[in-house]
Amino acid sequence: MRDEAIVELLGVWKIYHMGRRGRITVEALRGVDLAVRRGEFLAVMGPSGSGKSTLLHLMGCLDRPTEGKVLFEGTDVSTMRSAALARIRNRRVGFVFQSFNLSPNLTALGNVELPMVFAGVPRRERLARARELLSRVGLRERERHLPAELSGGEQQRVAIARALANFPDLLLADEPTGNLDSETGHGVLSLLSETNVEGVTVVVVTHDPEVATAAKRRLRIRDGHIVEASDA
Amino acid sequence: MLDLMGIAVRGLLHRKKRSWLTITGILIGITAVVALVSLGESMQLAVRRSFEELGYDVVMILPGELGGGFGGPSSFSTSFELDTESLTEVEGVEEIGLLNFQSVYVKADGNEGFLDALGVSENIFSFFKVEIVAGRGFSPDERGVVILGREVARELDLRAGSTLQIEDHPFKVVGIYSADSRLDEDAIILPLADLQELLGEEGVTMALVRVAPGDDVGQTAKRIENFLYRSRGRRDLSVQTMEEVHEVVQRALGILGAFLGGIAGIALLVGGIGVMNTMYTAVLERTREIGVMKAVGARNSQIALIFLMESGLMGLVGGALGTGIGSFLNFAAVTAAKRALGTRVLEYGISWWLVLGALGFSFLVGAIAGLLPARAAAKLDPVEALRYE
Repeated sequence: MRDEAIVELLGVWKIYHMGRRGRITVEALRGVDLAVRRGEFLAVMGPSGSGKSTLLHLMGCLDRPTEGKVLFEGTDVSTMRSAALARIRNRRVGFVFQSFNLSPNLTALGNVELPMVFAGVPRRERLARARELLSRVGLRERERHLPAELSGGEQQRVAIARALANFPDLLLADEPTGNLDSETGHGVLSLLSETNVEGVTVVVVTHDPEVATAAKRRLRIRDGHIVEASDA
Repeated sequence: MLDLMGIAVRGLLHRKKRSWLTITGILIGITAVVALVSLGESMQLAVRRSFEELGYDVVMILPGELGGGFGGPSSFSTSFELDTESLTEVEGVEEIGLLNFQSVYVKADGNEGFLDALGVSENIFSFFKVEIVAGRGFSPDERGVVILGREVARELDLRAGSTLQIEDHPFKVVGIYSADSRLDEDAIILPLADLQELLGEEGVTMALVRVAPGDDVGQTAKRIENFLYRSRGRRDLSVQTMEEVHEVVQRALGILGAFLGGIAGIALLVGGIGVMNTMYTAVLERTREIGVMKAVGARNSQIALIFLMESGLMGLVGGALGTGIGSFLNFAAVTAAKRALGTRVLEYGISWWLVLGALGFSFLVGAIAGLLPARAAAKLDPVEALRYE
């Protein structure tokens, strides 16, 4: 089982120091052990402040644990330099956020191109890939539109296209349907499922029972602990 | 690199008004630098042209020590007597031109008053050119004639052929000269002998000595100095080669230029601080966007580069516009000076090194001003940046 893990957390603690002089400490994760298997569709559920997003950030090499180890494809990333982590985020991971987080001054096409720009993909190749992805999410004809000119559902579809730009192995979605009505949310969920079927490992943090149902495995997290796990 | 530049440009265009205001700050600084430095260049060019026209084979003999007084005819009023015949015997001396600057009382058709008068030996026009715009110059041994500056002619309503009274003696106007002569248009030129006779003295206020071809100018100047000391028994005259004089003037202009450049530099510094301010604001405003860029895999160096390019571009655009406006201002100043003063104290000229230097420097100011904000952007923690509202 362990050999199949794309990302693995071993006794991971994440403690934030907040407030003035960092006197207030928040234990977001308290000794979490978790292995995400290659190709699976995992839903992480739990109330606000339970540590879901922190878990996602650690899996995506956006953050380092305070204690414990995070193994990405067997390599400990906890002590890696920031440039090496950036490389993993760029080539191996795709992020989708609740509030879409598109660059407001870039067109839909420009936003999808962005990860490829940082990867140094040549322009011609980049444009072809970005257009292919926009076609796949049904927005090929809106490539010249700025985020402000797109609906919430459309923006999230652009964000998914962006997340898939550099052929990632792992797609991490933080409440991807949280800001969308149920019908639009359904469309986004279908896109995530399709992506998973094509072989990309998907981890979704959500409140939405429908999203959780679509996942093959579900985890519940509370107060920084994984309290319940179930396979679909 | 080029693609990151694209992101930087879009960042600037996204906040057009603020970008332009910031650019204006740099623009003003660079305009001041270019205008003042090129004005300095214009002065130096005018001085160099004057000296070239006079020639570097000329040695000046002036009363007292050189310094302070090299500005115009009216500043040379101390006269001295010179034994030109013996001076001609000194080795290396080819030709001697004599000048006497004085104020004279002039009457013409009901107008009267003092004017600057330049008494000249008849060979003086071989030392410097006088641009005659009407009539003619002096003929050899001609007496009782005068050439007027255009300004004087206009004010007194005189033309070639008219007569006027100088110190109650009649003189015939034979020609009118223009400011292209590097001589103010509000003076008159008359034969030295006439001026000496009017004033009842034999002196001159300046002598120009041309050194014979093949003779060393510096050594000839030394020989003249020795001759003057021997024959006069005192060192009351100074002998200067054109090269020495030029050096003194050039050094003075250099100091002036550096001073003006320094003042302009302060304006540019203020512009740079404006860029820094704008960039810090941009980093703050775009914190979340920076977080997203990091999430999709931007390295810290790439983030820093984007912000550096933005600030550098603002500097460059401000610099390009400022260079244009600054050189135009210099051109306007030269033109205005010519009109107002009627003399060529300035000569329009802007050098390539100034243009390229200003462009490079403005980019540098922008980039340096953006250095700290760019570092701040690069160092943002991605998770905190993403959380930023």
